[in-house]
Amino acid sequence: MRELEQEALAAIREARDLEALKTLKARYLGKRGLLTQEMKALASLPLEERKAKGQALNALKEAIERALEEREKALVEEELRRALERERQDVSLPGVEVFIGGLHPITLMERELVEIFRSLGYQAVEGPEVESEFFNFDALNIPEHHPARDMWDTFWLEGEEHSLPGPLGEEARGRLLLRTHTSPMQVRYMVAHTPPFRIVVPGRVFRFEQTDATHEAVFHQLEGLVVGKGITMAHLKGAIYELAQALYGPESRVRFQPVYFPFVEPGAQFAIWWPEGRKWLELGGAGMVHPKVFQAVNEYRKSRGLPPAYQGVTGFAFGLGIERLAMLRYNIPDIRYFFGGRLKFLEQFRGIL
Amino acid sequence: MRVPFTWLKSYVPELESPQVLEERLAGLGFETDRMERIFQIPSGVVYARVLEAHPIPGTSLKRLVLDAGKVVEVVSGAGNARAGIGVALALPGTEVNGLKIGERTIQGVVSHGMALSPKELGVGEYGGGLLEFPPDALPPGTPLAEAWPEEEVLDIEVTPNRPDALGILGLAFDLHALGYSLILPEVRLETGKVPLPFGLRVEDPRGAPHFTLSYAFGLQVGPSPIWLQRVLFACGMRPISNVVDITNYVMLERAQPMHAFDLRFVGEGILVRRAKPGEKLVTLDGVERELHLEDLVIAGYRGEESFPIGLAGVMGGAESEVREDTEAIALEVAQFDPVSIRKTARRHGLRTEASYRFERGVDPVGQVPAAQRALSLLQALAGARVAERVLEEGTPREPKPIPFRPQYANQLLGTQYPEKVQLGILRRLGCRVEGEGLYRVTPPSRRLDLELEEDLVEEIARIQGYESIPLDLPAFFPAPDNRGVERPYQRERRLRELLSGLGFQEVYTYSFMDPEEASLFRLPPPPWRLKNPLSPEKAALRTHLFPGLLRLLKENLALDRPERALLFEVGRVFGKEGAWVREETHLAGLLFGEGLGLPHGEKLSGYPLLKGLLEAFLNRLGLDLRVEAHPYPFLHPGVSGRVWVEGEEKGFLGQVHPEILKALELPPVHIFELHLPLPEKPLRFQDPSRYPLALRDLAVVVPEATPYGEVKALLRQAAGPYLESLQIFDLYQGPPLREGEKSLAFHLRFRHPERTLKDEEVEEAMARLLTALRSRGWDIRG
Repeated sequence: MRELEQEALAAIREARDLEALKTLKARYLGKRGLLTQEMKALASLPLEERKAKGQALNALKEAIERALEEREKALVEEELRRALERERQDVSLPGVEVFIGGLHPITLMERELVEIFRSLGYQAVEGPEVESEFFNFDALNIPEHHPARDMWDTFWLEGEEHSLPGPLGEEARGRLLLRTHTSPMQVRYMVAHTPPFRIVVPGRVFRFEQTDATHEAVFHQLEGLVVGKGITMAHLKGAIYELAQALYGPESRVRFQPVYFPFVEPGAQFAIWWPEGRKWLELGGAGMVHPKVFQAVNEYRKSRGLPPAYQGVTGFAFGLGIERLAMLRYNIPDIRYFFGGRLKFLEQFRGIL
Repeated sequence: MRVPFTWLKSYVPELESPQVLEERLAGLGFETDRMERIFQIPSGVVYARVLEAHPIPGTSLKRLVLDAGKVVEVVSGAGNARAGIGVALALPGTEVNGLKIGERTIQGVVSHGMALSPKELGVGEYGGGLLEFPPDALPPGTPLAEAWPEEEVLDIEVTPNRPDALGILGLAFDLHALGYSLILPEVRLETGKVPLPFGLRVEDPRGAPHFTLSYAFGLQVGPSPIWLQRVLFACGMRPISNVVDITNYVMLERAQPMHAFDLRFVGEGILVRRAKPGEKLVTLDGVERELHLEDLVIAGYRGEESFPIGLAGVMGGAESEVREDTEAIALEVAQFDPVSIRKTARRHGLRTEASYRFERGVDPVGQVPAAQRALSLLQALAGARVAERVLEEGTPREPKPIPFRPQYANQLLGTQYPEKVQLGILRRLGCRVEGEGLYRVTPPSRRLDLELEEDLVEEIARIQGYESIPLDLPAFFPAPDNRGVERPYQRERRLRELLSGLGFQEVYTYSFMDPEEASLFRLPPPPWRLKNPLSPEKAALRTHLFPGLLRLLKENLALDRPERALLFEVGRVFGKEGAWVREETHLAGLLFGEGLGLPHGEKLSGYPLLKGLLEAFLNRLGLDLRVEAHPYPFLHPGVSGRVWVEGEEKGFLGQVHPEILKALELPPVHIFELHLPLPEKPLRFQDPSRYPLALRDLAVVVPEATPYGEVKALLRQAAGPYLESLQIFDLYQGPPLREGEKSLAFHLRFRHPERTLKDEEVEEAMARLLTALRSRGWDIRG
């Protein structure tokens, strides 16, 4: 019996796999297993002897069962370990290369500005890039042959008179041009809506101008317009102050100086103190909406059968260049990069969510 | 405009420094572009008088004998070097303008220094002759710097609304309003009762609403005194002679241009009229100009006959120009119609100091005072005698009073400036203030820009300083019709964000296109061209975005050789309908190169990839996409599809035509271009069914040329209401199928929203599918 025990335990210890273990189990504990037969043989023994041997056999059986169990557990673990090992991958290899997109830096800057003004209750609207002389100039108190027209070098479309949709979708006739600023939307918006309101108008504008590191013939502006009863120049300053604070933090300040734009009175140019660069940034023009602009809007509304909605109201407007801010914000040295289309340039703005 | 500090200070003596001036002007609305320190004349440059001038034989040079305190001999090549004039002499050892002056032997003559041109002295651009002074300007040998000190010049921007500030006095008046005291130049003029040797007829009073003509005679034309030349040089003008210089000086002082005609060339008098057909005039710059019928001219007349002697308000004629032997002049000081001047100046490409001021407008009552100022200087500096009588045509327009409420100023500005302060500002600006409560404010005639109450409000704010306006935020509810106006903008922005999230890089390209390239891109000629393009390649407005994307790709390939690119642009394009501009927003996408996959493994690319991305994009918007084969000239005829979004035709998707790719030397590229906005589908929430799915597979055999879309549409239509989804999982051609056939295998999922589907119901649906297929002549694979 001692021999049997030693042989069985040794065989179990050395079983190489679950299959071998199964065979061993059958060999010792199976129906015709060695131990089973010994058990059966017990019946023929005298009582005293049977009792003693029975105890010994039971102990042996337990030992073998324990050994089988242990070995089985070890083998299962081993098998799993091997299976996992077989599935090992080089996790340092790159993954599937999906495309990584990104937004243009002007889109990003425009979005930042629009969000700043949205938080102040402004809504963003857009206008057409091909504009008529009337909306781009005349209605903004910039009559033909006035020297003020020289302030905007203009791309004119061929032909003397064409049509485009007016603010109410009606036909607007006249000489056509590429809008030199986003300000025509002031007129278009006011014709189609009634005060009070706050809007910003981002968009592409055009100047007939040779390009260099700081000048582009095509660039982007953000126009702001707030009209209502009791709107003041202090409100204009407050709006630009909020912009400065949002862009450059609590150390930022604003500076306003008189300047002439035919469609505002009083007119101003504004600068924002840029704490990081420690300098004033001349950002754009602003002012109180000129009475002649309101008058032009009222007359246009009247011609379309709308009541004059712009009497007894005041308003302020401002306009600023988006490229300039983006160049400062992202440290871009040359304005031509924006339309340069070089992907190595554009892809650098991916980090901005 | 160039503002010499010391000149302005002579009218505003309390001015502290050029730096303070810059700040004050900025606060007043005049921005300084540049500050410049000029006229550093070295002490070795002295005033000298030319005693003798001897030609050096065989050369164009002259030997000059000068009195420079002592007698000095120099060699000069200047044409105007002659006895009797004063010059600036650089003594040996002096360095002027980087040039070291020594004693040199020229053509065998020793030159003990150098007589200087304005350019050599560094005071002006002119290098064609010596700087000429009157013979008794200074004691000979005096360092020139004593009479010609340093100057600081501010180059300021004068906006078109402030023509008055195109004269130095205009700025002085503004500074006065800030509190500086003001000294106006005294005009002392002695006139005589002399009959006028000329007449004046203004035939076109609209062109010349106010015209004055004065008579000065007994003139001694010669160089101007040093102080006057110094001012002109500082202002960027070249001194010509005392008479011409005085007219320029008064223009720079008062923003009132004027012109002196040599009386010998005006005939019996001056006639102001429009040009006649075929008339020509040689202007002061020596150019013969063909006059336009709308050009306003100054003509001399004899009886009925008249002849142009000047282009009114723009430039005088060469013939009647004041020269050395001029003894008598007719001095024209007028006001012209700004639009007429502007048109004439543009027509002739002539932008002069005079036209610049006239087209912005001059003080309508400033003509007589300006003439008197000029005549008094002619008297003092050129020995002129002046006739008392002045010919004057037209009546100057006096400024009209403007109603003004100090309370309104505060309302518009958001300030609380006391009434007294406001009225004080207006008075200091030269306004006449009358009335009470509702005031009547008459601005000074020079301030053409003051027309409305708001203009006066700006004056208050300008003088008080914009920094005194507080900060405030308005609170109000927008009028209801403004609600939601930002929706289109926000939606477009989200589209961009969505595309960038799907892996598209946003690019911007120019709104222009090369009209010559339309055929290269197999597009019709662009309907909108520019009158004044920057270059021929930017002469038209784009009708599509994809050419710009292809160009951009080409440039990137040339420079950086990217292996793949996925790009998009959202931008405006410009079509035409009748006489109408049809401006649309397009969204274009481009896919090029290695597609999606492992860098070290296989890739998915081309049409299926771009279509998949477009599907993902539209599905994310809750929109359904359908592409059906349709030939677009710029797409590969076999890979060219029309895009339908929610049943609306929205654009195209496909591979760029090989001819275009060949012309641009590009590898295969796939593109799409859609017009925005995309349809918006209202959300209809559906509670997802919790009942079990019934799954079936179906393989359909159809002729090879049958598009998938057709099969899918048929299945969808025939399957009945419980088909939840339908997905192709296999596309097969080959045995045992017959030649020219293909099999499309689909997973079908059936489900009922409210109960478990019965087997029979699913089988019924399958049977319907089979019938529908067979009725089209198609079959299923057994």
